[in-house]
Amino acid sequence: MKSAIEFCKNEWNSYTRKTKIALCVLLGLVALFAIFAIQILFWGLGYTDMNNVFAMGIWIIGDLGLVALGGGAFFSGFLLYIFRKDDLEPLINSTVLIGFMCYLFTFILLVFDIGQPLRAWFGYTYPNWGLHLMPKSMLTEVVWCLTLYFCVLCVELIPIPLKHKVVDKIPFFHYLGHYLHRLMWIMAAVGTFLSFFHQGSLGGGMWGVLYGKPGWFHPHFFFLAIVLATAGGTSFMTLWPYVASKIMKKEIVPMSSFQALAKVSGFMFIFYLSYRIFVVYTLSTVYVPMADRSFIDLLGGYYGLWMLSLELIFSAIPIVLLLVPKFREQEKFMVAGLISGVLAVLFHKLFVVLNGFSIPNFAWRPFMGYNPTIQEWFVMAGALACMALIYMWFAKYMPLFPHLHKHEHHEA
Amino acid sequence: MNKKWGMAIDLDKCTGCGACQVACMQENNMPIFKDDSDLPKRVTFLDLMKVTNDKDAKKKYGEVQVAFVPKMCQQCEGNNLGAHQPIPLETVKKRVLGGEKVFFPGITYDEQDNMLYKPEVVYTKDMVEDLEKKGVKSVYFDNSQPPCVSVCPVVATDVGDDGVVSQVWSRCIGCRYCQTACPYEARAFNWWNPRYEGDFKKSLNPDVSLSSRGAVVKCTFCSHIWKRERDKLLAKGEKDLNKVKYNPACVSACPTNAIIFGDLNDPESPVYAKKLNNDERAVRLVHSIDKADPKVREKWIAKKNYPNPKVYYLSSQKWLRDILVGFKNS
Ligand code: SF4
Ligand code: SF4
Repeated sequence: MKSAIEFCKNEWNSYTRKTKIALCVLLGLVALFAIFAIQILFWGLGYTDMNNVFAMGIWIIGDLGLVALGGGAFFSGFLLYIFRKDDLEPLINSTVLIGFMCYLFTFILLVFDIGQPLRAWFGYTYPNWGLHLMPKSMLTEVVWCLTLYFCVLCVELIPIPLKHKVVDKIPFFHYLGHYLHRLMWIMAAVGTFLSFFHQGSLGGGMWGVLYGKPGWFHPHFFFLAIVLATAGGTSFMTLWPYVASKIMKKEIVPMSSFQALAKVSGFMFIFYLSYRIFVVYTLSTVYVPMADRSFIDLLGGYYGLWMLSLELIFSAIPIVLLLVPKFREQEKFMVAGLISGVLAVLFHKLFVVLNGFSIPNFAWRPFMGYNPTIQEWFVMAGALACMALIYMWFAKYMPLFPHLHKHEHHEA
Repeated sequence: MNKKWGMAIDLDKCTGCGACQVACMQENNMPIFKDDSDLPKRVTFLDLMKVTNDKDAKKKYGEVQVAFVPKMCQQCEGNNLGAHQPIPLETVKKRVLGGEKVFFPGITYDEQDNMLYKPEVVYTKDMVEDLEKKGVKSVYFDNSQPPCVSVCPVVATDVGDDGVVSQVWSRCIGCRYCQTACPYEARAFNWWNPRYEGDFKKSLNPDVSLSSRGAVVKCTFCSHIWKRERDKLLAKGEKDLNKVKYNPACVSACPTNAIIFGDLNDPESPVYAKKLNNDERAVRLVHSIDKADPKVREKWIAKKNYPNPKVYYLSSQKWLRDILVGFKNS
């Protein structure tokens, strides 16, 4: 016991001042998360600002955002293992870890979001299936697909701790890690397959099928979400380790890998932007008029036109900054491009959820507003803080960046 | 059953007294919360909505119009295309034997309205032969698709063969996806723990289960009263379910008879759908497709589902009809 305390003390003292402050803030957020989590789980969702009309809020936006951004994991894995884009290799461990955390916390947030967390297993035992293997409800699809993909991510994650120098010395683990690594392309393929479905269903299909709601109904929403996840997710997967390398002040990933993934992201944003414009156009000319409303009226609320315009602008910036070599090769432009790629995802999700719910259902009603309560904010922020802490732990103790370790090896 | 329960509410007769809402609360064991003035979080099946033509408070004195509109679950049915069109069994057989994949999306019935198969079956040779043996001459299907039913991840809500959309409180996981899907804000979530304090417990209705916190509840056209009436008939030896008649609590409670209830398929019933559809005074909530040009309607219905609710609102006031039916003239 004493030695454990001694160990913790030494560990803490070995940190720089800045790290200590960051850790304090993050741990504080996690503590608040725990307090409010208990309040929500034991006393109910009455403590949120959601209500019978604005039935979902900040947590579902968090879920959508995390899954879309975590989607970068499957796409990078797909490019590396199936298309053999080898310059992504130094990024892949970090990508898998981020993907894993994004999905883990999607589950955690979902548990808070549903009113009866103790019945969450009903999703597996009484799923709403249609004929054969076709799920009828988009949420059934989400539950199953997320679970399966989460298992895939777990398998993809295992080789990272196995490569730890202590574990790696044990022959069994060494070979296990080796063979798991060789199986990775299968995992990448299965992951890609699964990802396509739940990216589509949670990100878009879930809203697109609601035929009674003119703000959402659109048959293409499903596919739009997949394209967005490949575009914005790759931006996120590049940005995160970049920020980590700046904080750690080490070159954890060679610049060429960042550049490679950034280029992919910029390329995918061309598809996304054109697709999004097509969807907005058909919404305004076909689908909204079919419900006898006008699209511009639906954009009238607090979360209307400005949010959609920002989303489109943020989707256009990466195309310029990440695709044109002149800009991409300058670090500051590349980072700006990546940030705006992530913001594009964020604003898309914000717009879809907030605007969709705020649209009045009856002609005599005004637009609705939504102002998350302190409980909602802290559960959300605490979840993000947990993610940051887990990533820091991995970065410090696990071989997250093979490139860095190789270098250290050489230097030694 | 060949019933399709529906409602017609005459707003000219409604005085906004709220008796229907009180009766509904009592009949369905609605909890009472500390602060029931928090309207968007209130748990109620029947909402007496105040409707005005003065949304932005800009109208002058004398121009403002107000009405009260009782709104419950509208028991939507979706487009239900092809429903109730009998198909001779011979035709089905020919298609099956010809190697075609004959798929019925809805519940299959025979000509006497006996349910034969659950929804979503692909017919096989054996099944057709089996039906032939039973002496079935023709089949039809009913494929109600309310906006809120297919979305539920755990089948906590379903639509019955009388068109009533059910909800099982104890099956619901509280994801609120159905609330999101419902265009009529007809579903309520238990945001707080429902309370029944003191003597209030004694007045609870044993036919309706109590909900727990975190589950979605909704109006079921008081289907428990139907069951009660059915049991009474059964006790008398009557086995034909189509003979069961009943009225939901709100209908019985209305002092001016503004709400009437019955079978939309029955020409004798006061809510015969074909008659209501042609009634100048009748509209359905946010359903302007009813008033669209027939050609446009046909085109759109082929492309998209519409809620197709089973509750009609009648009024002789044009402004009210306009504002109820949609957004264009409001
Ligand atoms: S809230 Fe309940 S009834 Fe509604 S979709 Fe979710 S589980 Fe189904
Ligand atoms: S969508 Fe709403 S109004 Fe229609 S059946 Fe479902 S709960 Fe009732």
